[in-house]
Amino acid sequence: MTSRRRTWLAALVLVATVIPGCATVHPWDRDLLAKKSMRFAPLPHELAVDDHIYFSKEGSAGGMDAAGGGCGCN
Amino acid sequence: MLLAGTLPAAAQAPVAAGWQLEATGLLYGEQARARVVEPMGRLTRLFANGRALSLGLAVDAITGASPTGALPSGQVQTTTSASGATTTSSSASLLPTHPFEDLRTAVDASWVEPLGTLLSATTSAHYSREQDYASLGGGLKSSIDLLGRRVTLTVGGGYNHDRVFPTGGTPVGLAPDSDPRVPGENPKEVATGLVGLAHVVNRRWLLGVTASESRERGYLTDPYKVVSLVDPATLLPDAQVTEKRPATRRRDDVLGSSVYHLQHDILYLNYRYYWDDWGVRSHTLDFKLRHDLGAAAWVQPHVRVYGQAPAWFFVYGLTHGPPLPAFASADERLGPLRTTTFGGTYGFHVPGSRGEFTLRAEFMYQWLVGHPPEAAGTSGGGGGGDHDLRRAIAAEAEGTEGNGRQFGTSIGTLLIGYSVPF
Repeated sequence: MTSRRRTWLAALVLVATVIPGCATVHPWDRDLLAKKSMRFAPLPHELAVDDHIYFSKEGSAGGMDAAGGGCGCN
Repeated sequence: MLLAGTLPAAAQAPVAAGWQLEATGLLYGEQARARVVEPMGRLTRLFANGRALSLGLAVDAITGASPTGALPSGQVQTTTSASGATTTSSSASLLPTHPFEDLRTAVDASWVEPLGTLLSATTSAHYSREQDYASLGGGLKSSIDLLGRRVTLTVGGGYNHDRVFPTGGTPVGLAPDSDPRVPGENPKEVATGLVGLAHVVNRRWLLGVTASESRERGYLTDPYKVVSLVDPATLLPDAQVTEKRPATRRRDDVLGSSVYHLQHDILYLNYRYYWDDWGVRSHTLDFKLRHDLGAAAWVQPHVRVYGQAPAWFFVYGLTHGPPLPAFASADERLGPLRTTTFGGTYGFHVPGSRGEFTLRAEFMYQWLVGHPPEAAGTSGGGGGGDHDLRRAIAAEAEGTEGNGRQFGTSIGTLLIGYSVPF
């Protein structure tokens, strides 16, 4: 199995572990979830800065560092 | 950034109509290298029907020096920058650098349009311009809520049309640095696709998985980087050529994200695996913990660890004499690079104000690891990978036992933010 196939298989396993974990979340249970801090990126300005820094200083991009916003720095 | 919009509806608070202003200032400094000052602003109009318009502006003022890719020579050397207008001398033991300064201006806009109660679409566009580079791009992303709004599926794509116009012209790849340069500009196109799932596991836990792929085509070489040619007898560099990279690159990554609300604190974990057809493979682990200090303040320590395997054409240097390979680059960012980041954010509300200030200070350390011949590889034509070049030359230059860590770079950042609804 190639490295690429292994990676996609790992991703599928990860997704498969997400879906069956569904539990009922009633509206009255959403107190914590409704907080601004309960987001994947609660501070978007920090994420934007980190995108730019890591895109400029490393060989990777994407995911949490998506796109880089168009920059000649890499 | 794309993942930021994929929160399941079950986890979203109702949106109140109004305006939101975010102002940010970044101070960035590398030890004896680049300095960046970057003010940014974003204004968002939220409409009661769920529509939103956002406009952003950023300006980067960059000064300092950047490694040329050449090896330390063991003697003082002079390097001419791409423009031919400035020169700098490197000491015997330091990596040669060239000075530069640039001003980058970037604007972007996005529009969120709800399509019924379960579907929404986000359209975005950006333009940025710097001295030798311009980027114009756009994207479209659509999200749908599933399974009682506990799961959100997001599909998106984007396209950038960039132009590279190096100062002084475009160098011929793998040719002497002094060779005439080609005037004009070089196109670079980037197409990106993304699919993501975000899931509310329970009232305390959010999970997300995102996979993305981007394909780049055009001028992907760094016009200001060079590769040392090393005398096989002395193991000292005696000449240099400009670098050259392939004209296409396919990048893939999978990102897993978790946000978990502990009794009082919130734990954020991200893991990303990245790979591309240049041979770069990387693992990124990112950890944050938010701890509230009463109702008006909080702190958030942050640790990030990154490691990558080098591109197949990465070399520390090339042997002077044999025919050169098709591609070669000594850019550290394509090498066996490691990065660790430590820092923290302090956030607080001013009494009587709706606005929130954040202050973040971070320290980054980057270094190259591994045995250079392994890092350079032998299968991809990285011709000079048969010598322990960097270690030998570093030892020659510094009179020490060479290893990658002595080429580490310390970086400090300070970020000040203010966000206020009105």
